[in-house]
Amino acid sequence: MIEAKGLTPRQFLDKVLEPEKESDHICWQCEFLKPVIKGSSFPPADIIGWCMKIHWPYYWCVADFNVVKKCYVFKQKG
Amino acid sequence: MTKDLRECRIEDLPGPKSKQELDEMKMPYEEYCKAAFAPGHEMGKPESLKGIRWMSTTMYIFTPHSVANLAELGAEVIKVEMPRMGDPMKHTSPFNEAYLYPLHDTRPVTGTGYGFMNANPNEYYISMDYHLPEMKEAFYRLVKMSDGLTECYRPGTFDRWKQSYRYVQELNPRFIYVWGGGFGYGPKCFGGSYDILGQAHAGLASVTGMHESMGGHCTKHSNWCIDWYSGTQITFGILAAMHWRAKTGLGTMIEFSQVQAATRCLGHTVPMYGRFGIVRQRWGNWDTQLCVHGIILCGKSDFPDSINPQDKFDARYAMVSAFQDADFKALCGIIKKPDLYSSYKKHKERVGAEAQVDIYAQLEDWAKDKSRSEVVRILQNEGLLCEPVMNDREVYENEHYRQRGTVRWMEDPLFGDVLVQGTYSAGMLSKTPRRLYWIWRPVGADNVKIYHEMLGYPISKVQEWYDKAWI
Amino acid sequence: MCDIIWCKKDVEGKPCDTVNYLDPYCFWNWKGTINCANCGTVYAIHMIQGHMYKGPDEQPAGTKPDTSPLYADKPLEGYINFPSGMEGRTRPFQCLPRHIYLGVPDMVKFSIRGRPLRGWRPQPKSAGIAGQFPFNWEMKKLSPEVWAEYQEKIAKGEVKDW
Ligand code: SF4
Ligand SMILES: [Zn+2]
Ligand SMILES: [Zn+2]
Repeated sequence: MIEAKGLTPRQFLDKVLEPEKESDHICWQCEFLKPVIKGSSFPPADIIGWCMKIHWPYYWCVADFNVVKKCYVFKQKG
Repeated sequence: MTKDLRECRIEDLPGPKSKQELDEMKMPYEEYCKAAFAPGHEMGKPESLKGIRWMSTTMYIFTPHSVANLAELGAEVIKVEMPRMGDPMKHTSPFNEAYLYPLHDTRPVTGTGYGFMNANPNEYYISMDYHLPEMKEAFYRLVKMSDGLTECYRPGTFDRWKQSYRYVQELNPRFIYVWGGGFGYGPKCFGGSYDILGQAHAGLASVTGMHESMGGHCTKHSNWCIDWYSGTQITFGILAAMHWRAKTGLGTMIEFSQVQAATRCLGHTVPMYGRFGIVRQRWGNWDTQLCVHGIILCGKSDFPDSINPQDKFDARYAMVSAFQDADFKALCGIIKKPDLYSSYKKHKERVGAEAQVDIYAQLEDWAKDKSRSEVVRILQNEGLLCEPVMNDREVYENEHYRQRGTVRWMEDPLFGDVLVQGTYSAGMLSKTPRRLYWIWRPVGADNVKIYHEMLGYPISKVQEWYDKAWI
Repeated sequence: MCDIIWCKKDVEGKPCDTVNYLDPYCFWNWKGTINCANCGTVYAIHMIQGHMYKGPDEQPAGTKPDTSPLYADKPLEGYINFPSGMEGRTRPFQCLPRHIYLGVPDMVKFSIRGRPLRGWRPQPKSAGIAGQFPFNWEMKKLSPEVWAEYQEKIAKGEVKDW
């Protein structure tokens, strides 16, 4: 069970979706990233997650070797 | 009398005498089609695959359907089943209750479920425990007299039993051998095959259903559509192999992996991933390439008083298509939302995902105080493409399908009256239509016909095998 | 992932002890109030991505719940359960199998257009050697009572084409 005390819904969701990787992607701060969750073994090893904005409703695989530093639809997660 | 019989005048021949007359005599196209295809009169016409004999050591729907296609086109098919048991599909019926009896004389209270329908029609049913060394000879004799075989055992099983392509091609070099199963050779060669596996493993289920953002989950089609689809793909392979054999005199082995089958119908999914790394997602009842082109929910059911939930609750969906600019403009006019048109004048603007959410929401808002048939009538009257989403009962009652024979009653010679939707997987053929002689037969029903009359084993032998449950 | 509300509300001196299941289809991302299928106590919950973010918090008596669980049971009392569609307790499930789906073979002798079919058992033996079956169902010989009933139906005009 995840302790929810004092967390905003967004912070809680971040705990549920605790990512597998760390990198310099701006996407980590972005509302639209759906990260590869810690411990999941299925998705290809070289992505940090999926961008749910740029090609929505399709998901764009955000590669971990192409670090996104700037993005035209970036939205700070709340 | 002196007239040279090799000479004849056009005036003496039956039929039209001039181009004009020919045109006058031509029936209207509608009439022509009715006469050419004549549903219900298939039996008087020739069969395109007559003379082909096929063995079917198959189970469930996928591999049987590859052979059912041949049988409906006139091939003589020998379905080989396990003695006293039959194809497991015979024991599979919706909600475990719709059977036709009997399964076999020794099992008078067991029946064959409607789940078996369309998978093995027009076939001769024999039983054989072919992995027994004692039955090998009969199996090989059948191979020598047949054009091919479809089997569905785990990879290598028939090889272990000395009846794989490597063995049977020595007996019959013209033999066409089909293996159909789950993964085929490769790292995942283990395991059987199921429709749901095909839908899941090929990526089809992941793009079926509502989008995650709409609360959707991966969805499998309720019916075993990939079983039917991949069975038909095998039939293509068989027909191509027969054409090749007509040219070279040689058989072929077809290795068909069901999990590969559905990748074919996924269209842009794979190249799009290859180009951008985009993972295709579900988009529910709408369309990712066209808008408006989807299914909407209307406010009122067409049958609010029915006790059948399919009628009472679900007779509320209609498909609407108006993706051309002019059609979309007309649609916005009908629903009295001119703003909607001015916001999304170009298709490029409409087809975007956010735009679709907006557009369909407004359409459903317009439809919320109308019944499905009202919506359909209003849009059709304005010349737009709109049809109700029909359930089974409505399909049954649909005059279009009745006239074309899509759904029809047939009195099976052995089991009686059944409503069938069979014989349609190749469209209508004017000269050599598909047809249904019988839906299926009991386990071993044709043992005497095949073992005795065709292969020439004495009745005493057949009886002996039967008593030992080898057949 | 599926969470539950284990209701411990005191009912006549005993804990309610009912497990209300929060099916993921409805509750995956959900905020609102839901009743206990047994005692009717209303709880407020907020679920995010299948995890309980807030709640369950008991609401004052008389609160109208937004929804009900689809299914609930009392695991400590054996097989007591609340299947879907119990008025005021559980949510109706629209696709409930119809009354005719009983899960047991349904014996019929005639199709919906009134013509005979072999939908009942046991069937009289008709095979010869080695499981052999003829190509025709000799109804008059094998099942004379069905054949007679069929003649009656024909006479009464109950046999239709569609
Ligand atoms: S919108 Fe931009 S920043 Fe946000 S996840 Fe997508 S690519 Fe990254
Ligand atoms: Zn055996
Ligand atoms: Zn309670």
